[in-house]
Amino acid sequence: MYPKEIEKLLKSKRIGVGSRVKVTKGKQSYEGLLMPRIGLGDRDNIVIKRDNGYNIGIKYERGLNIEKLKGGKRLKFKSAKAYVRKDPDKPTVSILGCGGTIGSRIEYKTGAVFPAFSPDDLLVSFPQLKEIANVRGRKLFDLFSEDMSPAHWQVVAREVASEIKKKAGGVVLMHGTDTMHFTAAALSFMVQTPTVPVVLVGAQRSSDRGSSDNEMNLVCSTTLAAKSDMAEVGICMHASMADDYCFFHQGTKVRKMHTSRRDTFRSINVVPFARVWYEKLKIELLRKDYKQRGVGKLVLDDKINPRVGLFYSYPGIDPAIFEGLMDFYDGIVIAGTGLGHVPTNPSNDRLSKSIVPALRTLIESGIPVVIAPQTIYGRLNLNVYEAGRLLNEIGVIGNGCDWTPEAALVKLMWVLGHTKKMDKVREMMLTNMAGEISGRTEPEAFLL
Amino acid sequence: MKKKKKSRLKKKLKKGPKKRKFKESYATEKGKISYKKLKLKAGLEIHQQLDTKHKLFCNCSAAFERKKIKTEVVRKQHPVASELGEVDVAAQYELFRDRTFNYQVFSAETCLVELDEEPPHDINTEALRIAIEVALLLNCEIPGEIHVMRKTITDGSNTGAFQRTMVVGMNGWLKYGSKKIEITHVCLEEDAAAIVREEGNKVIYRLSRLGIPLVEISTGLLKNYTPDQVQEIAYLIGIVCRSTGKVKHGIGSIRQDVNVSTRNGPRVEIKGVQELGLLSKVVEKEVDRQMRLIESSKKVVHETRAANADGTTRFTRPLPGAARMYPETDIVPISISQRWLKRVKSELPEPWTKKLIRFKQKLKLSNDLAIQIVSSEYLELFEQIMKKHPRLNAIVVANVFTSTLKDLRRKRIDVGKLKEKNLMDIFDALAKKKIVKEAIPDFIVYFVDKPDDSVAKVAEKLNLSILKKSELRTIVSQLIKDSPDTPKEKLYGIAMSRVRGRANAQEVFKLVSSLAKRKSKKKK
Repeated sequence: MYPKEIEKLLKSKRIGVGSRVKVTKGKQSYEGLLMPRIGLGDRDNIVIKRDNGYNIGIKYERGLNIEKLKGGKRLKFKSAKAYVRKDPDKPTVSILGCGGTIGSRIEYKTGAVFPAFSPDDLLVSFPQLKEIANVRGRKLFDLFSEDMSPAHWQVVAREVASEIKKKAGGVVLMHGTDTMHFTAAALSFMVQTPTVPVVLVGAQRSSDRGSSDNEMNLVCSTTLAAKSDMAEVGICMHASMADDYCFFHQGTKVRKMHTSRRDTFRSINVVPFARVWYEKLKIELLRKDYKQRGVGKLVLDDKINPRVGLFYSYPGIDPAIFEGLMDFYDGIVIAGTGLGHVPTNPSNDRLSKSIVPALRTLIESGIPVVIAPQTIYGRLNLNVYEAGRLLNEIGVIGNGCDWTPEAALVKLMWVLGHTKKMDKVREMMLTNMAGEISGRTEPEAFLL
Repeated sequence: MKKKKKSRLKKKLKKGPKKRKFKESYATEKGKISYKKLKLKAGLEIHQQLDTKHKLFCNCSAAFERKKIKTEVVRKQHPVASELGEVDVAAQYELFRDRTFNYQVFSAETCLVELDEEPPHDINTEALRIAIEVALLLNCEIPGEIHVMRKTITDGSNTGAFQRTMVVGMNGWLKYGSKKIEITHVCLEEDAAAIVREEGNKVIYRLSRLGIPLVEISTGLLKNYTPDQVQEIAYLIGIVCRSTGKVKHGIGSIRQDVNVSTRNGPRVEIKGVQELGLLSKVVEKEVDRQMRLIESSKKVVHETRAANADGTTRFTRPLPGAARMYPETDIVPISISQRWLKRVKSELPEPWTKKLIRFKQKLKLSNDLAIQIVSSEYLELFEQIMKKHPRLNAIVVANVFTSTLKDLRRKRIDVGKLKEKNLMDIFDALAKKKIVKEAIPDFIVYFVDKPDDSVAKVAEKLNLSILKKSELRTIVSQLIKDSPDTPKEKLYGIAMSRVRGRANAQEVFKLVSSLAKRKSKKKK
């Protein structure tokens, strides 16, 4: 935490985090509890918490003296205990933790963040949950969601399936928000008929603050998992900046669209499945095309091939980038411009370079190339312009699809986990498996 | 029966003198309350808004002037788990359950940061510098590294349910007469959202005030001071803040909290005294309230009260659990380099005490006027004017700021609409003898409506251009000619009414005197 020199000094005086110390520097002296250095800043400053609660940093210099005083505190995070009896009239909801802002608690003295996924932790933090369901909780990982990988998705899918087998009336997955839509898509492909609601949930505001969106999101998600008739994988989070209701978004048709707002998750090209009202705990359906609870058989299909790359097309993109990609990848997704375009230079412009030859080489060597819209909204159409027609000719996959780049990526990984035969890959990719391709788009399904 | 009555009477009689004794024991010889005997202890916390362009942690305007509500966002808050476990949360939970907060959004003054929808930006360095200037002027030590903290706030006045605050100075002092007042710390923090109204369980706040930077200055325990002296100390702290020339003025821009204890009893915290002149009254009334409680054998309790406009206080419902303070992890601790600190020290504004002496000695202002101008929001402008026009009479200039503007404000003229340039232009014209000081109020009233006009144009429009000597002479001679037998004083009055705002009163008086004399000589 502190630089070696300071650590050595502290150690020699048997001073640790939480010790009450007096730091003297020239004529000035300061008393307080020694704090750890968390986060960034100038590590040469010794941080103490003064009796009025404020932290200050005192620059470590030669001549600085630090003494240990009586009255220090051991700063340790204590897990709280909740006393709840199982209610036989209520459904059981299994809450699994993958990490992220929502499943963390703070130790207020130091500001250090700890994972908190146990049922006790959950019920202490969110007392309302016990009014909705019998909750059982478990930690799968404690990861920032950007550190999740396809291998983690497999673990999640297996655990979700196992919870459903263990008669969970619904599953809630607490997850970091950054890549939640990737996990949601992966689960949608791996557990296509979950037979109960599988709800991913996160928080955009840290859990230490009374304004955190964690409570409302979790309460709405648990309500969905416990009561909803929708046996779908989806994301349930704030629908607007207000604390009135959440949206339940389809797992393959949702995306994080804002770096920081509570209502960051938006349905893409579809209307959300439902609104979940926070105060009344009411579910208001917005669509009818969902899988019914208890219908069908739970199948876990978690085969996946992570060797898929996602590339963003842009003006002047160098075709050389694509050379040699076959050494790294078994499949490529390109987020193309407009209706699904990349530079193809049909007019042989002197200043332009086509990437078509590079893509053709990839496809000919057995690497499927899938196109997705970088506009995020809308459907691909490779028939309208020359560029699209050229891509269609060389066998780029995606014409007519309205998937998001992320859903396309996850699907290609999943498909490649099943087959590497180009024809089969093409067939599977172009078949709607988990709602990732919709046949028609409602006019209102834009910027919802 | 009778016996009982009698004994009750006896009891009453017994109580009577006891009561008197209680009050007597805390009285001076003159029968007034002796605060010394009462062991009055007070502590001050002064909150002064800074006059920065932007808010503390975002680029919103800190002007706090928008009236039109753009939209409203409805939020709830909930308890957060603490080390205390379920019980603590459950207790708070009931309090939060039904409460709703409506946050009003104003354009240019509210962005995603105030809405708790975006992490704070880097700290406003303008505000940080002003706060450190205040700390240095109060002889504080500046920490080597400033740590921004989150202080939990549960009344909804902060959308994030916490206030960002940081110590920028500590262990300071302020000279008060021959004594040193301890300044325990100076903090830089965000102002809270302003409450609009409460409707049952719904509280409506305006977000335009949230995030405006303010300094919080806390004194040590003030022992053996009278309420009047406590008020004077608060006043001095206010003057120190203002001497930076970078703090806000006007109602609500400075707020005082004071805690009061007597006879070593528990401390009562009184929040939000909005007017400085009310502070001594608030302390007096609180002492009185505590004495009356003790007299009627009730206990003084440690509680938080809010100040009313008449100096009395009201109980505010405390929420369980003390405010927590923990690190704001979204902001990297701010290292204060010695080099930068040295520069700030070298560029510190002149201490107000020195300024006061200079105003009295060099500018010949009276003590009262000097104090008034030092604590005036126009201090900086006053100094600019005196620097530009050293030959102007400082008393005249100071009086415009301290009394003319005040009078006009009392007449409901919105002098806040004036631009600094208007006032500067007026004094430029005065210095160049284009106008007379008597015309200044007319100019000000005009500029309030049309601040973009020039002095020359206004002078022409209002017929307030200074008269040439010959013109004035003609007018006065004509007047004497027309009313030959009028006494001098009356002549002067008539002359003044004719040339009001166009000639210097002294000059008119001189002219009337000399011309009238000449005439009477001629007569003889």
